[in-house]
Amino acid sequence: MKAYLTTASLLLAGALFGSGALAAEQGITDTEIVIGDVEPLTGPPALLGVAASIGHKIAIAEANNAGGINGRKIKYVLEDDGYVTARTIQGVKKVIDVDKAFALLGISGSGQSIAVMPVLEKAGIPTVIDVAPVKFLWEPPRKNVFVVGQSYEEGIIHLVNYLADKNPGKKWGLITQDDDYGITVRDGFDTVVKAKKLNVVYSGNYKKGQQDFSSDMLQLKGSGADVFLAGGIIAENIAMMKELEKLNVKPVTGIFWPGRVEPVLKLMGPAGDGIYAVDYVEPFASAAGKAFLEKAKPLVSENEFKGINRYTMTGYAAAKLLIAAIERCGKQPTWTCTIAELEKTKNVETGVMAPISFGPGVRFSNQKLQIMQTDTATLSFKPVN
Amino acid sequence: MQYLMQLLISGLAIGAIYGLIAMGFSVIYKSTGLVNFAQGEMTMITAYIAWTISTTVGGNLFLVSIGAIIAAILLGLVIERVVMRPMLGEPVFATVMVTIGLAVILRSSINFIWDAYPHGLDVGFGRDIVRIGTIGVRTGQIAVITTLLLMLVAIWAFFRYSKFGVAMRAVAADDRTALLMGISAPRVHAAAWAASSVIAGIAGVFFAISYDLSPAMFQLGLKAFPATILGGLDAVLGSGIGGLLIGITENLAGGYLGSGMKEVAGFLMIIVVLMIRPFGIFGERDIERV
Repeated sequence: MKAYLTTASLLLAGALFGSGALAAEQGITDTEIVIGDVEPLTGPPALLGVAASIGHKIAIAEANNAGGINGRKIKYVLEDDGYVTARTIQGVKKVIDVDKAFALLGISGSGQSIAVMPVLEKAGIPTVIDVAPVKFLWEPPRKNVFVVGQSYEEGIIHLVNYLADKNPGKKWGLITQDDDYGITVRDGFDTVVKAKKLNVVYSGNYKKGQQDFSSDMLQLKGSGADVFLAGGIIAENIAMMKELEKLNVKPVTGIFWPGRVEPVLKLMGPAGDGIYAVDYVEPFASAAGKAFLEKAKPLVSENEFKGINRYTMTGYAAAKLLIAAIERCGKQPTWTCTIAELEKTKNVETGVMAPISFGPGVRFSNQKLQIMQTDTATLSFKPVN
Repeated sequence: MQYLMQLLISGLAIGAIYGLIAMGFSVIYKSTGLVNFAQGEMTMITAYIAWTISTTVGGNLFLVSIGAIIAAILLGLVIERVVMRPMLGEPVFATVMVTIGLAVILRSSINFIWDAYPHGLDVGFGRDIVRIGTIGVRTGQIAVITTLLLMLVAIWAFFRYSKFGVAMRAVAADDRTALLMGISAPRVHAAAWAASSVIAGIAGVFFAISYDLSPAMFQLGLKAFPATILGGLDAVLGSGIGGLLIGITENLAGGYLGSGMKEVAGFLMIIVVLMIRPFGIFGERDIERV
């Protein structure tokens, strides 16, 4: 009886393993490997989603031009979720179940990735997230989900620490958006305020979508803040800086990486000169940034090239890792092998950020941060540390 | 005092933009009895077209103005002819839903036609800062306040003295009687959509000059809607004034009560006003014989 049960268990396990292996090999034909992605391609967050997808396309084009993954060309399936969580879930299900993607990249914003996590885990599909790194995505670590980037909290802590050390004894001001992004920014800020006992004289928050910051910046001016953490995303930071210019005040200002895109500087004009930003990808003004643009130019259309920003770099790095992992699995890649190979990622150079590593139980690449400063003369961000 | 003045001037400037868009809401409502929920999106589209023209003609103010006005007229006429006219006679709810659908389509078209980046509309003026004592104001903000005031006078004169303006009022009051009097209601409707589009477009262009252009700009429509409710949905001039009131209230609340109150204040104000005067400050009381 015992032997019978053991045999039955082994057969059952074999059947399960077998069906799992078959399912894991979806999205692969003799000539193609399908990689799926769901991004906001419409609405204001498209600035992130479109740019990230361009990064994926660059890495895929690079691989395809070199013969594909062990002879198979990569087919990229991209879905638009419009930054709407329900559509993200729908899109991810579609690329897995209908397009039969072998692996996934990107996955929209932070809230969207969090919401879609049960779907990803249940499917078991190898996934590399690169757009919005938030702790929930890697804490606790999920077997098949890897995250490239740095946490928002760490980013803010790094920036505020830098500005605090550079401006000791100064008065601080902060404004944040009234959502999960704003809370994260505020949490990072408060950590340093507590540790360094910063003197915060202005603390405001604004409703998502606010476009006029006249009264907010007037309050900031009235508070006498010397150092200001502008917790807007993109257009809000521009509006804040132009309002400060109108009020004839210029505090030392720090912004966060979602808004660290070059067109922002053009719109800020002289008001944006000398602003500090924190990021884990190289600025385009650096040698690495220039080299990336050179590499990208022949691989994307003219319009796509214009849409390149820092998110293109994060997308590119994630796609490089995934492609390399699948490649190392040889002629018959499986999900199990791809996940195992992603886990073995150790100090991989992508040229757009510090070397990337994962490991057993480590699903977050924890990228090294750097501070940069704007230069309006060249409309660029330059590293300062 | 200086603090208060700065808040008032900034409030007037953003309020003038709300006011213009609110007038656009009101022109359509007054002529067709319909609330157009795509007003903010029409504002945004005209501003983007103006930006495209400005990048093509090197920021020539005259060409940008003419081009934007023509584009706004065409946009209004096309929407009326293609989207709204087939809905004539349909339930109001269905028609309103169509405007909501239209709003989503126009909003999405920004990324398909243009991109998701913010852009500056450079027409050679509007960005300079004028200092009155220590108070700073951009020339574009002065221009939009002046434009709103001129527009209020022009629209008042149009509805009061012009034949077409009187026809529009007649259609709004009773379209069947107006038809019997030989007034073409479809023509009036088309003119209302075109006029509304132009007024909202002017607001969009001024906003883009003074602030910036971004796919989030459609939200101006959401801010202008309370202004038109406050002023009176059927009161074109009242809507313009409602915009100024909302702009000033928002700024004073933001400046004195804290930044979190800024967006809430306008809505609190309309709740209070509507509890007292449900038809708005300048709206007409709808009296029905029972």
